Amino acid sequence: MKGYIKLLGLDTVWNILKYVFSFLAVMVIGSVLILWQGENPVTAMTYILEGSFGSIRNFGNTLRWITPCILTGIAATVAFKSGVMNLGIEGQLYFGAYAAALFGFYVHLPRFLHVPSCLLAAGIAGMAFALIPALMKLFFNVNEMITTLMLNYIAVLLTEYFTYIVMGISAAGDSLALSTPPIQDTARLTNLVVKTNASTGFVIAVTLVVIIFMVYRYTIVGYELKQVGENRRFSKVGGVNVTWTFLAIFLLSGFLAGLCGSIEVQGTYGKFTASFSNNLGWDGIMIAMIGNTNPLTVLVVAIVWGILKAGSLHMERMCDVNRLTVLLIQALFVLFITVDYRTLFNYFKRKGAIE
Amino acid sequence: MEYILELKGITKRFGSLTANDKINLAVRKGTVHAVIGENGAGKSTLMNVISGLYRPDEGELFVRKKKVSFRNPSDASRAGIGMVHQEFMLFPELTVLDNIMMGYEKRKMGLFLDKKMIRKQVETICEEYHFNIPLDEVVQDLSVSMLQQVEIVKILYRGVDIIIFDEPTSVLTPQGIEGLFDAIRFLVKHGKTVLFITHKLKEVMEISDDITVLKNGHYVNTVTPQQTDEHDLATMMVGREVLMTVRKEEKQCGEVLLEVKNLSVSDYEGRAKLDDVSFCLRKGEILGIAGVAGSGQQELVESLFGLRKSSGGQVLFGGKDITHLNCRNHRLCHIGYVPQDRISEGINREASLWENAIMGYHIVKGFQSRYFLNRKQAVSFTERIIEQFNVKAASTNLKIKTLSGGNIQKLIVGREFLQDNSLLIIEDPTRGIDIGAIEFIWKKIESLAAAGTAILLVSHELNEVMEVSDRILVMYDGQLYDGGGHGEKTETEIGLLMTGGGIL
Amino acid sequence: MLSIILGTVTMAAALRLAVPLILSSIGGCFGDRAGIFNIALESFMLCSAFFATLGSYYSGNPYVGVFCGILAGLGCSALFGVMVFHMGSSGMVVSIAMNLGMDAFTSFLLLNILGKRGSFMDPKLISLPTLQLPLVDKIPYVGEILNKHNLVVYFTLLAIAGTWITMYQTPFGLRLRSVGINEKAAQTTGTNVLRYKWYSVLITGFFVGIAGAILPLGGTSIFTENMSAGRGFLAVAAIMIAKGNPLLASLYSFLFAYAEALAASMQNFGIPSQLVLALPYFMTITVLLFSGIRTKMKNPSKEAA
Repeated sequence: MKGYIKLLGLDTVWNILKYVFSFLAVMVIGSVLILWQGENPVTAMTYILEGSFGSIRNFGNTLRWITPCILTGIAATVAFKSGVMNLGIEGQLYFGAYAAALFGFYVHLPRFLHVPSCLLAAGIAGMAFALIPALMKLFFNVNEMITTLMLNYIAVLLTEYFTYIVMGISAAGDSLALSTPPIQDTARLTNLVVKTNASTGFVIAVTLVVIIFMVYRYTIVGYELKQVGENRRFSKVGGVNVTWTFLAIFLLSGFLAGLCGSIEVQGTYGKFTASFSNNLGWDGIMIAMIGNTNPLTVLVVAIVWGILKAGSLHMERMCDVNRLTVLLIQALFVLFITVDYRTLFNYFKRKGAIE
Repeated sequence: MEYILELKGITKRFGSLTANDKINLAVRKGTVHAVIGENGAGKSTLMNVISGLYRPDEGELFVRKKKVSFRNPSDASRAGIGMVHQEFMLFPELTVLDNIMMGYEKRKMGLFLDKKMIRKQVETICEEYHFNIPLDEVVQDLSVSMLQQVEIVKILYRGVDIIIFDEPTSVLTPQGIEGLFDAIRFLVKHGKTVLFITHKLKEVMEISDDITVLKNGHYVNTVTPQQTDEHDLATMMVGREVLMTVRKEEKQCGEVLLEVKNLSVSDYEGRAKLDDVSFCLRKGEILGIAGVAGSGQQELVESLFGLRKSSGGQVLFGGKDITHLNCRNHRLCHIGYVPQDRISEGINREASLWENAIMGYHIVKGFQSRYFLNRKQAVSFTERIIEQFNVKAASTNLKIKTLSGGNIQKLIVGREFLQDNSLLIIEDPTRGIDIGAIEFIWKKIESLAAAGTAILLVSHELNEVMEVSDRILVMYDGQLYDGGGHGEKTETEIGLLMTGGGIL
Repeated sequence: MLSIILGTVTMAAALRLAVPLILSSIGGCFGDRAGIFNIALESFMLCSAFFATLGSYYSGNPYVGVFCGILAGLGCSALFGVMVFHMGSSGMVVSIAMNLGMDAFTSFLLLNILGKRGSFMDPKLISLPTLQLPLVDKIPYVGEILNKHNLVVYFTLLAIAGTWITMYQTPFGLRLRSVGINEKAAQTTGTNVLRYKWYSVLITGFFVGIAGAILPLGGTSIFTENMSAGRGFLAVAAIMIAKGNPLLASLYSFLFAYAEALAASMQNFGIPSQLVLALPYFMTITVLLFSGIRTKMKNPSKEAA
């Protein structure tokens, strides 16, 4: 009995060590990169923290960046947890944002209806876009990874094209930033922090994470979703309707991605701009991978991500270190976190013992 | 006496488990040497050491009095040792010829495959040893006994003279086994040496010149068939007396529960895998289905449980048509299923014991609430399985992959048995587990049937079907034939049916 | 209209556009056949495009540039191999991390080595010269399509045949395929599985390296951020549809490139540029769909999800 508990404990310890190792490795590499650019790593990191927490305005701005990270992160998490390889979050996000912008502009409703219906429209648009790869997978067994990748490019280009059509001639004057007209004030989300873009979207995002966490932990549906992700055949034999689960999860993932797009529009930009997202969807996928598809860790990682996003802009303004450094470090962190340190450690230990 | 192969003090460990502990073995040239032992006795590990797949942690290996050390299977092959593995080491998508030449290709211009020359050599071998295999067919289209021949030809093509057979008879019919034994005798006559791994005592007595017994990774003894009998060998293997029969009493079966009418299943090319099959199953009855692997049992079971679409016919369960229902609905009808492939279908390796234990149960009997997972209830159900089915596990929170194969199987069986199912479809419930556990599971099946559950037992071990079932059906080429009641027909008669012999 | 669809200009453009796709897909076929899941071709390509730019810029010789591109491709595949074969990472996660990281990495180096943002153009950045073939230009139609390309284009045509022969007519190819089908069985035939996996991933790196180098050096003489723009993914799609057959993969690659070339000529007819740019991706999805339908018709009982 004691031995087993020790074994369980060891798993957790290695899990924590994994994050520690990766963090240290990334810090070392990051410092080298910053030194190369002729800055002191400590100064650069201080600027990041200052940029994200230095003032109320900065803090609000950080909240604004945390919001999409949480949403795309959770969109990727629900998908990966059930074995749905949805790499098309970026594309679904674009369609969601576009739908929100149109709905916010054309439809006139009182505020208490307009905001939620706008969010819903965006979610449905994201869902509809996720339906294409989902159906292709279900009916013709086409690998969803590659279709969603292709659809990302299509989504960016198509929304740009649609924007062009909607705007008609009026866009011609300002071709640099092709965008839809601003949405109605009734569709905008309420600000959380004055004079920043932090909106109630943050509250929505956190609430969703908590709900999803609860579903996985306390409900039978959550139990089924987890089993399907880990062994689809086993779940099928056990009586889980895996086809339905696959579709539902794909759509849910698309819905969350679409929601993220609409919160970007309703909370921050107030309109849809072509190519606005700058890899938000991919951020979500990275966050889900680092968070090891656990909704609560995903929340933590998303917060770190938001801080880095908000802070790196400030850092770039204040010193010579480029923002790309942060992006590079984020990708490296994903790379390091996937390493199986335990096996590696045992391997070296054995090797050492033989020699 | 000339020993062609000698092992001295071979030890192989996997982590904390010692699979082989200081094993000695001496094989005479030109003989059939059997190595027997229960599952988990370390036979396969030892053979993998000899064939170069594993490297021993301690001990020495001598081939023709010369000390050798193999780094990989090709080293062993160069020393003249080849192995026919239990699961065939073939590439299903490639042709027979490609499979045979793999790793030992002849080249032309130093770079390209010389298929012509290879073909000629293989044909010579086939002729010399009387094998008849289609060289250009893709391996996945061949029958099991044909695959075994391919394996043997593959080994011969490499020019080996010590051939290891790892449990070669487990996939064959009694008639197929005779064919294999003929081939083995032929090989020995041609000067080859054969190492024969099995746990079936009857075969050992028939074919071998020497018998080495292993138990729990230890060497027990080496004897000749003349010195011993089956009973002695069994005692040596298990270390205690075993009674491998389940006592059968006359019993009254209830009303018809499952009725299969003209069920057909065809594969993607329209070939019938299951051809117009009809039978019925009563409450409290154990219906055994025997047959050579790949005769359509898989298709039958899968279509009965909603895992595969049938192309015709009807399945009635308690008068209700369940032909087109999916697995979930089958479970809701209180039909249980113990799948053949326990690792990929029976469990989720990454999940804990209790998560594995409640699969199926969570929708069938369910918890107090339809929506919420009651962890206390889940754990208590798991503990019930652990207790009633002797699963050796320390905690319900452990990951299931930390358990041994036998314990995993007990958990799966327990899960399906304790769900108050009225029909259980059981496929190969005792595959790859030790004798003690086999006995245990057989008894559980008996007592479940006695309680009124209808049981459909599909097994590739003829022995199992004959011991446990009240009534036997034999599957051959997608069709079912009557195998009589318990003890009505002999093993040979059923074996004949399994190969289509008694039908025509 | 027909003159555009089948015209020599479109075809020659398609060939030029197809070269990076073909090279990366035939390279990727080796990895695919050895059972390695690799959708990081996109990042391999981008990395080698950047280093090819550097090589050509500093040496003034485009062939040195191509060589640097190959080295970068090999470097990327080595990183991938170490992570997947020795560190226990999953191919998918490494691929995604590399795809995202490489975007930042190349932009970062572009800024810190060449001091440019967005794109880099310089008279000292020299593209590969085009060759005038002696006999080919006499052949009508075909000659016009095949003549006046750079060396890499002709290398590609040879490479298609070469990889096909390697895959199906040599012991090396046979063993490589065996590794992808059943690792354990391959081991019993004396094949060193890990070594073959390394071979295949390095071959992938080599070919994708050339493919990446041709992006800046194939005539445009410009490096832009995220220059690969999904070509790596298109190559992966081609491999997937061709099931790892280099000949078929090249064919599909050409098809995708043809869509791009056709769209480019169509642009003159007032078709919006966004749709034109999206055409290769639409094409890929359509082909994936059709190949899915075909498999389904052949094997309807097989389950999808």
